[in-house]
Amino acid sequence: MSLAADRASRSLRLTALTKEFATFTAVRSLDLEVPAGSFFALLGPSGCGKTTTLRMVAGLEVPTSGSIHLGDDEITYEKPYRRPVNTVFQNYALFPHLDIHENVAFGLRRRKVKDVDRQVKEMLALVELESQAKKKPPQMSGGQQQRVALARALINRPEVLLLDEPLGALDLKLRRAMQIELKRIQTEVGLTFVHVTHDQEEAMTMADTIAVMNGGVIEQMGSPAELYENPRTTFVANFLGQSNLIAGSVASAEGDVVRVDMHGNQVSIPAERAHARSGEGWVGIRPEKVLLAPAGEPIDAPGNHLTGGIVTDVSFVGVSTQYLVQMPWGQELMAFEQNTGRRAVLAKGTKVDVSWRPEFSFLLPASQDVNAGVLEEA
Amino acid sequence: MRRGRFTGYWLMLPAALWLALFFVIPFYSLLATSLYDPEGSVLTGYDVTYHFANFVDALDDFWEPLLRSLWYAAVATAICLVLGYVLAYAIAFKAGRWSSLLLVLVIAPFFTSFLIRTLSWKLILADDGFVVDTLQFLHVLGDDSRLLATPVAVIAGLVYNFLPFMVLPLYASLEKIDGRLIEAAGDLYASPSRGFLKVTLPLSKPGVIAGTLLTFIPAAGDYINASLLGSPNQRMVGNVIQNLFTSTGDYAAAGALSVILMAIIVAMVMVYIRTAGTEELV
Amino acid sequence: MVNARLSRRAALRGGAGVLLGGASLGVLPLFGSPDRKQDPDSCRARDLSASQKRLVVSNWPAYIDEDDDGYVSTLTEFEQRTGIKVDYTADVNDNLEFFAKVVNQLGSCQPSKRDMFMLTDWMAARMIQVGWLQPLDRTKVPNLHANLIDSLKGVGWDPDRTYSAPWQSGLSGIAYNKSKVKEVRSFEELLSRPDLKGRISLLTEMRDTMGLTLLSQGADPSDFSGDEWDDAIDRLRKARSDGQIRAFTGNEYIQDLSAGNILACEAWSGDVAAAEDENLVFVSPEEGTMIWSDNMLVPNLATHQGNAEKWIDYYYEPEVAAKLAAYVWYICPVKGAQEAMEKVDPTLVDNELIFPTAESLKTMHSFMALEEFQIRAYEGDFADVIGG
Ligand SMILES: Nc1ncnc2c1ncn2[C@@H]1O[C@H](COP(=O)(O)OP(=O)(O)OP(=O)(O)O)[C@@H](O)[C@H]1O
Ligand SMILES: [Mg+2]
Repeated sequence: MSLAADRASRSLRLTALTKEFATFTAVRSLDLEVPAGSFFALLGPSGCGKTTTLRMVAGLEVPTSGSIHLGDDEITYEKPYRRPVNTVFQNYALFPHLDIHENVAFGLRRRKVKDVDRQVKEMLALVELESQAKKKPPQMSGGQQQRVALARALINRPEVLLLDEPLGALDLKLRRAMQIELKRIQTEVGLTFVHVTHDQEEAMTMADTIAVMNGGVIEQMGSPAELYENPRTTFVANFLGQSNLIAGSVASAEGDVVRVDMHGNQVSIPAERAHARSGEGWVGIRPEKVLLAPAGEPIDAPGNHLTGGIVTDVSFVGVSTQYLVQMPWGQELMAFEQNTGRRAVLAKGTKVDVSWRPEFSFLLPASQDVNAGVLEEA
Repeated sequence: MRRGRFTGYWLMLPAALWLALFFVIPFYSLLATSLYDPEGSVLTGYDVTYHFANFVDALDDFWEPLLRSLWYAAVATAICLVLGYVLAYAIAFKAGRWSSLLLVLVIAPFFTSFLIRTLSWKLILADDGFVVDTLQFLHVLGDDSRLLATPVAVIAGLVYNFLPFMVLPLYASLEKIDGRLIEAAGDLYASPSRGFLKVTLPLSKPGVIAGTLLTFIPAAGDYINASLLGSPNQRMVGNVIQNLFTSTGDYAAAGALSVILMAIIVAMVMVYIRTAGTEELV
Repeated sequence: MVNARLSRRAALRGGAGVLLGGASLGVLPLFGSPDRKQDPDSCRARDLSASQKRLVVSNWPAYIDEDDDGYVSTLTEFEQRTGIKVDYTADVNDNLEFFAKVVNQLGSCQPSKRDMFMLTDWMAARMIQVGWLQPLDRTKVPNLHANLIDSLKGVGWDPDRTYSAPWQSGLSGIAYNKSKVKEVRSFEELLSRPDLKGRISLLTEMRDTMGLTLLSQGADPSDFSGDEWDDAIDRLRKARSDGQIRAFTGNEYIQDLSAGNILACEAWSGDVAAAEDENLVFVSPEEGTMIWSDNMLVPNLATHQGNAEKWIDYYYEPEVAAKLAAYVWYICPVKGAQEAMEKVDPTLVDNELIFPTAESLKTMHSFMALEEFQIRAYEGDFADVIGG
C-alpha cells in the first residue's frame, strides 16, 4: 500500500488563530504546531471550539485573525478545494446519491486523476469494504459509513487529514475497534492526522500528541503520559482522568523540591511538577496513586504520609475498588486500589492512613478553579 | 383477527369513493364523449357508437395546435426551470430569515384568480404599455412590433402562471439538502460550480422532476393564456377543445382531442420518469 | 412447474384486464348525450307573477341605460311603475357561449333560473325549433304587436312574433381609433391594410363576421352558394394566417380598441357610442353592413312570464323606447319612437344608426336562414378559422 503523500508532508502551524462569531468568540488566539506524520488529538469539552478550529484548517470557515501555515506556505485564506487537506466529517456527510465507489472516487475525479477505479478498489480494500462498492450510503451501517468517510478523505493522500469526532456516533465496541483500525491506517500511510474528540480515553490511546482545548484556547499540549502525569492546569488535571486537589501553601522552594504545608501536613513535590513557587496552591495527586492502610498499619510505599482518614464510601468495580476517604480537614479524597487480593476490602467507617509517593504529586496555582474540567456526572 | 381482516378495505373506502367520483366517472364520461357518433349534435343528442375514427379526424384537423401546445409548454417549462431554480436556490440557501417571506411572495399570486392575473398581464404587455415602450426604446423590439398576441406573450403568461408550481417542489428538495454535503464537496476539491453540478443538482432531482411535471402538464392543457395574451395564430389545444365544446358543439371531436391530449401527456410523463429515474426519489 | 403456475397467473391477470377493459367499453353508452328537444306545452312552470313581483333578466353588457345622478333609467321607472323587482344581469357575451351555459338545463326540462334573456335572431330561431321557449300571450303584449316596425315583422323563424320580441337591432360594421390610424372605409381594408397588421379584431359571431366577409367578396349574405361561402372562408383564413387578425372576441373588443391594443375592428354600432371615447368611430363599410336583432325570449319553466310580458309591453312604449335608444344608440325597433325622440334628444331624431332611412336600410343585410346541416358545416368551418 503506497498511500504515503507524494511530497514529504509538512507540519501544520496555527498562529494566533482567532474566530469570532457575531456574539461569541469560539477560538481565541490559538497557537498550535502539529508535526508532520503525527497522530495529533484535539481534546476538549463540547463547545470549546474544536470543530471551529478544524473548519478553519479545512477552509470552511474564515479566521477573524491569525494565520495557518502548511510548512512554509500560508493557507489561511486559501479556498477549501485548493488545500491539500481533507476532512472526515463529524456526521460523515457522504453523498447519498452516489454509490460507495463514487463517493470514494469523488476527490480523485475532481482532480482529474487517472486510474481512479484501481485506487478506489485498493482504498476500499484497506477499509475492508470491497464487497459494498455498489451500495448507497443510506443502506450501510454507521460503522461502515464511517469507514467510507475515512476512505473518501484518505484516498486523496492529503498532507493533513482532519477527523472531526468520527467515532462519536458509534457504540462502544465498534468504537474501540475503529480506534485500533484508525491507528493502524495512520501508521501504515504515515499521514498527519488531526483527530478531534471529547473522549479523553480515545485521545490517550490513539494520539502521539494531545492538545487539551478549553474555552477557545489550548490549555496544555504534550504526549498522553506527560499530560496525565504532569498536568499544568486544574482543567487538564480534572478533564484528563480524575485528580485529588488539596489546598496548601508553599513553605519552601529550594533545589528540586517544593515543600507545601497542607492542613498541617508537610508534603514535598518535585520542582519540575510544581507550577507554583510561592503562596497558596493546589496539591494534586491521581486517585490510583493514593495508598491506604488501616490506621497504624504500615504502608508499603513510604512518602507523604497523612493520618486521620475515615472511609466514607466504597465501590467495588471488579478490577479495582474505589474509596472515598474523609480527611480531618473535611475534604474527601479519592483512592483507587487494584484488587490484587493482598488485603481485604476496607469497610465503610474504617479509620485509615493515607500516603503517596512525592514524585507522583503536582502543584498548581491556587488562582485556578479547583472544579475546572470536572465531569458533571462522574 | 376476524375483525382485522376487512378493516383494511373499509379504510380504503373514502379514497375509493373519491377516486370514483372525481376521476373514474369523469374519465369514462370523457372516453364516451370521444366515441360519440359525429353525426349527432348538441340539440339532437349524441349516441356512443364507438366511432374510433374520431381520433384520426381530431389528429388530422388539430395536429397543429396540439404540437403548438406541447412546444409552448416545453419552452415555458424550460424557462420556469431556470428561473425557478435560481429563485428556489436563493430562497433555500441565500435568503436566511427572509426565506419564509419570499416563499409567501412566490405563492402570493395565487391569492387572486388565474383569470385576473392573466388579464393584468394583458395590461402590462399592452402595445402602449411601458414594457413595450421600454423595449422599443432600447431597440430590443422594432418600432411597430409588439408583445401581446405573439408567442412571447403566451409563453410569458404560462411562465408567470406556473412558476410557483416549479419553485415550490424545487425549494422543498433544495431546502432538504444538508449544507454539510456541499462543504464536503468543497473539501474534496470540487469548486463551487463543480460542487453544484455534482452534488446540489443531482440531490435536487426529485424537485426538478416534480416541478417540471407540475408545470408542463397544466401548461400543455392551458387555454386562458393563449386566449387572453395570444392571437388566433397562437391557439393552443385547450382553446380548440373549449371552442369545440362551447361554440361548435362538436362534442365528439372535443372529446377525442381531450383523450388524445391526455394520452400524449401520460405517455410523455411515463417516458420522462423512466429515463429521469425515480429510484432516487427519496 | 413454478413457471407454469406463474404464467398461468399472468394469463389470468391479463385475461381479467381484458375483461375489465371490455366491460368498461360496455358501460360507455351510459354516458351518451340525450336529445335536447322539449315540448314547451308540457315543460312549463306555474306563473307566479301575481304573487311574486320579481323578474330575472339576462342581457348583453352595455345594452341598457343606467341610473346616473338626475337621470332615472327606464329599468328603474319600470320597477317604480309596476312594483316588480328586476334582477338584471349582463351575462350574455356570445350567443353560443350562452347557449352552452343553458343547454343542460333547458335541454332536459330543468329551470334555467331566468325569466327572460336576449339572444340574436338565429339563436332565437334555434331555441324555438327545439321547443325551449314559451309563447307570449298576445293580449298581454299589445304594444309589441302595435308598435313593432314593419321591417322586423314576419320573419321566417317566428312570423307572428309569438315567441320573440326584438330588444334592439344593430349593425355590424367597422370601428377604428381615429387618434391612431387613418380612416378605415371597407372591410377589405380591415383585412388587408398593412398598417393594421396584427392590430385588428373580429367578432366570434359567425353570421356577423362571415356576413361582412361574404359582402367583401361580392356575395350576398342573405343568399349565397357553397362556393361563395368557401371563398369567404378562405379569405378569412388567409387574413388570419397573414397575422392580420389579433383576436376573435365577444363584447370585450371595445376595451382593447380604447386601450390601443387594436387599432380597428369589426364592431357593433351601439358599442362605440356606449364606450364614450371620442376617438372611436363607427363606420358602415363600403361593402355594406350586417343587420341583426336581439330578441327578448321567455324560456321554459320561467316562473314570472306575466312580469316578463309586462316588461316587453313597457319597452314597446315609444317614449320608453326613445329613451333607451338615446342611451344605447342601437336601431330602435319601436314605431313612434322617432317622434318621441324629439322630447328626449332632438339631435338624435335623424341619427341613421338609431332610425335608419329606407335608403340606408338597403345597404343593411341579414344572414340567410340555415338548415341544421348547414349550421354544422358552416359553424365548423368558421370555428376552424377562429380557433384552429
Ligand atoms: N456559525 C456559528 N455562529 C455562532 N456561533 C457558533 C457558530 N459555530 C459555532 N459556534 C459556537 O462556537 C463554539 C464552538 O463551537 P464548535 O462547533 O467549534 O465546538 P466543538 O468543540 O466542536 O463542540 P462539540 O464537541 O460539541 O462538537 C460553540 O459555543 C458554538 O455555539
Ligand atoms: Mg464539533
